Amino acid sequence: MTDPKQAKAAEAEAIERAKQGDEAAFEVLYNLHKRRVYSLCLRMVSNPAQAEDLAQEAFLQLFRKIGTFRGESAFSTWLHRMTVNVVLMNLRRKGLPLVSLEETLETDEETPRKELGAQDMKLTGSIDRLQLQRAIEKLPPGYKTVFVLHDVEGFEHNEIAEMVGCSIGNSKSQLHKARLKLRDALKFMRAEKAEKT
Amino acid sequence: MNCLEVQQALPEMMDGQGHDDLEYQAHLKTCPMCSELVAELELIASTAGQLAEADEPAPRVWVKIAAELRAEGVIRDTEVAGRPVLVPAAKRRWNAWWLVPVAAALVAAGGYFIQPRPAVPVASQDAPGVTRTETAPVVASNEAPRADKAVAAAQNQKSTVAAARDESSSNAPLMTASTSDQKLLDGVSPDMRSAYETQLRAVNAYIRDADAYVRRNPDDEDARQHLMDAYEQREMLYQMALDHVQ
Amino acid sequence: MQRSAIAGLVVAACIVTAVSAETRKEFRFTVGPKANIVVDNEYGGITVKPGNANQVLVVAVIHSDKVEVDNSHEGDRLEIESHLLSGADAKSGRVDYELTVPPNVPLSLRSSTGPLSVERTQGDLTLEGADAEVNVRNVSHCHVHVKTMRGNINLTEIRDGHIEINSISGEVHLNAVDGPHVQVESGTGKVFYDGDFGSSGTYAFTTHTGDIEALIAPDASADFSARSMQGSVKSDVPLKPKEHNRFPTELGRSFFGTMGKAASEVILKSISGTIHLRQR
Repeated sequence: MTDPKQAKAAEAEAIERAKQGDEAAFEVLYNLHKRRVYSLCLRMVSNPAQAEDLAQEAFLQLFRKIGTFRGESAFSTWLHRMTVNVVLMNLRRKGLPLVSLEETLETDEETPRKELGAQDMKLTGSIDRLQLQRAIEKLPPGYKTVFVLHDVEGFEHNEIAEMVGCSIGNSKSQLHKARLKLRDALKFMRAEKAEKT
Repeated sequence: MNCLEVQQALPEMMDGQGHDDLEYQAHLKTCPMCSELVAELELIASTAGQLAEADEPAPRVWVKIAAELRAEGVIRDTEVAGRPVLVPAAKRRWNAWWLVPVAAALVAAGGYFIQPRPAVPVASQDAPGVTRTETAPVVASNEAPRADKAVAAAQNQKSTVAAARDESSSNAPLMTASTSDQKLLDGVSPDMRSAYETQLRAVNAYIRDADAYVRRNPDDEDARQHLMDAYEQREMLYQMALDHVQ
Repeated sequence: MQRSAIAGLVVAACIVTAVSAETRKEFRFTVGPKANIVVDNEYGGITVKPGNANQVLVVAVIHSDKVEVDNSHEGDRLEIESHLLSGADAKSGRVDYELTVPPNVPLSLRSSTGPLSVERTQGDLTLEGADAEVNVRNVSHCHVHVKTMRGNINLTEIRDGHIEINSISGEVHLNAVDGPHVQVESGTGKVFYDGDFGSSGTYAFTTHTGDIEALIAPDASADFSARSMQGSVKSDVPLKPKEHNRFPTELGRSFFGTMGKAASEVILKSISGTIHLRQR
């Protein structure tokens, strides 16, 4: 039975042994956090091979610096931040926008959003996670970044603003637009599926 | 507030921020369209949170990380390296890992060059190193030129299976696959021992067959994939035995 | 009292004792929307069915006093574990679980002996059993990961699944299984598929010596690549030839071709098993 205190103690022990160069200890730390790190990378770049490379880079950067970890913050927080930095640097290198240039939410419509035609399928009950994953993959890079950091990974807007270099207001508006796009995409997928059956 | 005003204010109102805004709340109570929109956006946000640990990387990611850390000297030999470390536990756990380093090293032996040293655990006699054509991280020794040569060979995308075998065969004897198999069998309960023994024979036969095919057809990607699959099955068997350890 | 009556009473007392060595325990938990459930049971079966949105009901039948049921509920994580005491073996250490869970909750189940059975859920499933037979029926829109040593694996009516199966020598039976991703790796066990390979998706079945057999509907729409390095391959299904193939063509050892609009991709590979495509 995994007692959280015991798990934390085991992690702390693994960190100390990893500082001595113990391979088994590194592997323990890797196994504890690999899903979180890899999933974050995959959500952001939508390409499994690239996500593997980024996850590998994040762990390498972390493990190279493990000697400097003093335990002021949780190990997982440290790793999480490092992973986000690795991914964002990768996106910057490729010239992909981290956030859209618009500063505020600009509604194209003069009237409020309405349900239209074939998209008139409510998202009730639960959402198909596979469909949500596919819809996230198709988001424009800027929207995807903020959505993944906020709704999937749990960062606050002030943290996101600092990481990607935008204002808090911009982060909020990007998130909102991302959610609206996902809502439309999910409804479209549902409508498509309903037509086939 | 009307619908347009509410929807324009949503970026500031969602995620609990509009909780104390009476006009906003009043509108949602009376407008089914806006309240449905908010409910659906909140549902998307909450479902997204479940994706945080949805995926698992392939075993090769760890193998590459370990190889790189060795090459950089971050992973260093310790006094007990080369022997599985029994972690005494009051209770069995899903993630008991005393043989996982051995199993993971066996997976590495199937896919990468091994630069053996006396204290380093595991090279399989059944499956000498195989170079993957995409990348070939090197499990490093102190001999940097040898590591550089191995990386360069991989980057040329040529299989150098024969070269790897010649190198490894001339090195000091290491803990063999059969020794680690014996340790695994010693750890399982008597009523399951015979079952694990049979399955070990099956996966070792898989490794041998796949390796033999790779030798004959070094450029055959399917053959290399079979060999990796065989090593992954072996690692899976080791992991199951760990979960079963008394 | 007559001797026969006394003997009868003694026998009855033994039966009662034997029966009373088996204990039934019930646990109820209230869980939130992000709950996940782990059951670790060395000896015995685990059966899971869907129930209420935020309630988990666990019924454990404990077969002797050499095993205890521990549980832990921390935050979103609920863990149930069979804790073996000194001297426990496969018989005395046996616990059989029946769980009723919220339909969307991810589940991790482990048992060496099994069986493991899950039906009508929608949460991700991670099932591991050395000798355990694994049965999953009527689930959809989730990840299904199954690993066994020699336990057979039966998946029936799985829709839109992301499925990964790995068994060393268990047989794998897939009946009406489709998804964006269906991957089966087997060593010596046979892989049998009966279905139409969905409307789109990638299906990859790989074995060492296990045979691969697919029984497909006449209106299936798929792009087939099959190769056995040392075994024979055969297709009873007429396939349209393809221009570009995944691996080299070798008479009797590989076949390629498409059916319908080739919506799904089906890759069948073995080192020495036979591969047989049949039409229903």
